[in-house]
Amino acid sequence: MARKLTWLKQVEPQRGIIYFGFLAIFCFFAINLYDDGFLTTRNLTNIVLQTAPATMMAIGLVFALSAGEIDLSFGSIVAVSALSAAVAMQHYPMIFGVFAGLGTGIAIGAFNGLLVAYLRLPSFLVTLASLGLFAGIARSMTDLRSIPVINDNFTGFFGSGKIFSIPSLVLWTIAAVLIGHVVYRYSRFGAHVLAVGDNAQAAFVSGIKVPRIRLYVLTLCGATAGLAGLLYAGRLQAAKYTLGESDLMTVIAAVIVGGTALNGGKGSIVGALLGSLLMGMLNNGLIMMGLKVSDQMIVRGLIILIAVAISLRAPNR
Amino acid sequence: MINLLKYLALSVPFALTANLASTETIGPGGESATPSGLVVVSDDQVATVQAANYTAALLWHDQSDFVNAVTSGASDEFNRLGIEVVAITSAGFDAAKQRSDIETALAKQPNIILSLPLDPVTSAVAFEEARAAGISLTFLSNLPSGYEHPADYSAIVTDDLFQMGKQAADALAAAMDNQGTVGWIFHDAAYYVTNQRDNAFKTTIENDYPNISIVSEQGISDPARAEEIANAMLLKNPDIGGIYVTWAGPAEGVLAALRANDNTTTKIVTLDLSEPIALDMIRGGNVVAIVADEAYELGRAMAASAVLDLLGQTVPPFVVAPALTVKTDNLIDGYRRSLNIDPPASLLSAN
Repeated sequence: MARKLTWLKQVEPQRGIIYFGFLAIFCFFAINLYDDGFLTTRNLTNIVLQTAPATMMAIGLVFALSAGEIDLSFGSIVAVSALSAAVAMQHYPMIFGVFAGLGTGIAIGAFNGLLVAYLRLPSFLVTLASLGLFAGIARSMTDLRSIPVINDNFTGFFGSGKIFSIPSLVLWTIAAVLIGHVVYRYSRFGAHVLAVGDNAQAAFVSGIKVPRIRLYVLTLCGATAGLAGLLYAGRLQAAKYTLGESDLMTVIAAVIVGGTALNGGKGSIVGALLGSLLMGMLNNGLIMMGLKVSDQMIVRGLIILIAVAISLRAPNR
Repeated sequence: MINLLKYLALSVPFALTANLASTETIGPGGESATPSGLVVVSDDQVATVQAANYTAALLWHDQSDFVNAVTSGASDEFNRLGIEVVAITSAGFDAAKQRSDIETALAKQPNIILSLPLDPVTSAVAFEEARAAGISLTFLSNLPSGYEHPADYSAIVTDDLFQMGKQAADALAAAMDNQGTVGWIFHDAAYYVTNQRDNAFKTTIENDYPNISIVSEQGISDPARAEEIANAMLLKNPDIGGIYVTWAGPAEGVLAALRANDNTTTKIVTLDLSEPIALDMIRGGNVVAIVADEAYELGRAMAASAVLDLLGQTVPPFVVAPALTVKTDNLIDGYRRSLNIDPPASLLSAN
């Protein structure tokens, strides 16, 4: 038995699982749903549009996890940011709404980051508390009411419109992934993030300001969640306290399936994008297959479980 | 069991127009209610519908016994009419996911969409593409802002909310021999569904039962606090004859408070089927009746409304399914009529 498993141990499927998995599931749906419109440009575009906010959050989370931290609060940040933007735009021009939404995300992220970096509180507990705190604030901000967003420039730029005939959410996704990938892979900040996540003590000894990196990654998480809030508000042309609430597990799964390590020091922005698209594709394909909702949940859970198990399989040492 | 979240989704659009002192259930534009039994696809029309090869998508807000029963009612009616259900989704109360679900379902080009719009504001945009595509939309209990009948949707189908509250009052009064004191635990939030039901109970007691007085009124927003609210009510009114509880979740907490106080005399009446509440009722405990909606009938009526719309008939804009008082002697029938399932084994064995 041990001999039989030897070849398996030499394989490092976690390196390419997201690419193979994405391709395999895409082919499965393409073949089985060929006559149902799965491969139409409109449907495939829909998948990108539907996953754009989650992709933003996933990019922020890759940085946090790579630095050895985690952010569980982004679901609440999305709602508070979207509501802040919507409320601001009821009285002021679009630019104030954008600043209010993004600023709220950054402020909450910085709040989390300061507690983690300088009070040495675990990010898991800090952001878990923030999740509840800001979920409550989101509910109380507008007394559970949805706030319509009627600024056409905003809704067009952040979700519902097109720029050069390309849906704005597609452009946001491309831009965020490109910037995120370059910063993560090729900047000094990205290298420092990975160094802190790999070995914080060694990073500190080598001169990296570890607390500052922790503050930055959690602030970045807040910023990307704030951006996701703006995209949701633009797409739905409204803001509501429930926005982002159900994204937590989806985004974490997308990031892990995409090859980012839970314990820091390793990650991939492109992998997170593919993980996010994979989650969207699963939702889309399983609905189009006509499965009952409970069956959709079971199949989706099993596929994610398999993908995560392979992604997290300990490398040979 | 139908939980609080159902009410959150069922509530918003009507809040603008709800007349809480009304003695009947009225629609968002003040429309009078049409009984769901009048919305029927006749046998003469079946062949025409079957020949058209229509398809339908059921885009729900969540999963629950209630949704399962609505789905079952709609699916059975579609099956009778030869209509294929090509997509069933659950948005989990997420407005963004509901929009995604609609987009995904549209790829299958259904002729009919049955749905509970999560929120009038966000749903107005979410359903826009379907509306523009000319798909027959039938809504459950909620209406996207700006949608007009009959141009944009075939009908809103919902519970007979006033009757639910009224029947709860009638059942409690009967159990108290039409005299005594009662406590009124209402949903302390601006939600049309629960507000109409709660106020219907109060209005009925005040108007129809002069020998019953409401001695304690207590709002509740968090079902988890029901037990302490009931304890306070019992402390001030130890001889209270009956308690109305806005729905079954908090009623479980009220029941726990009565048990903790060794109170076997105060009667409870509540709304929506719940296994623990029903078990207490059939064991001869404090619970005397549960008033439920006919969720299966809601689904059937939604399906029929959509089909009649496709056939070019104007369906009444506001359709209500009847309320159902469930007591020990009609428990099995009550579960079947409400949720289209048999009662749980614990209830069958105790019955």
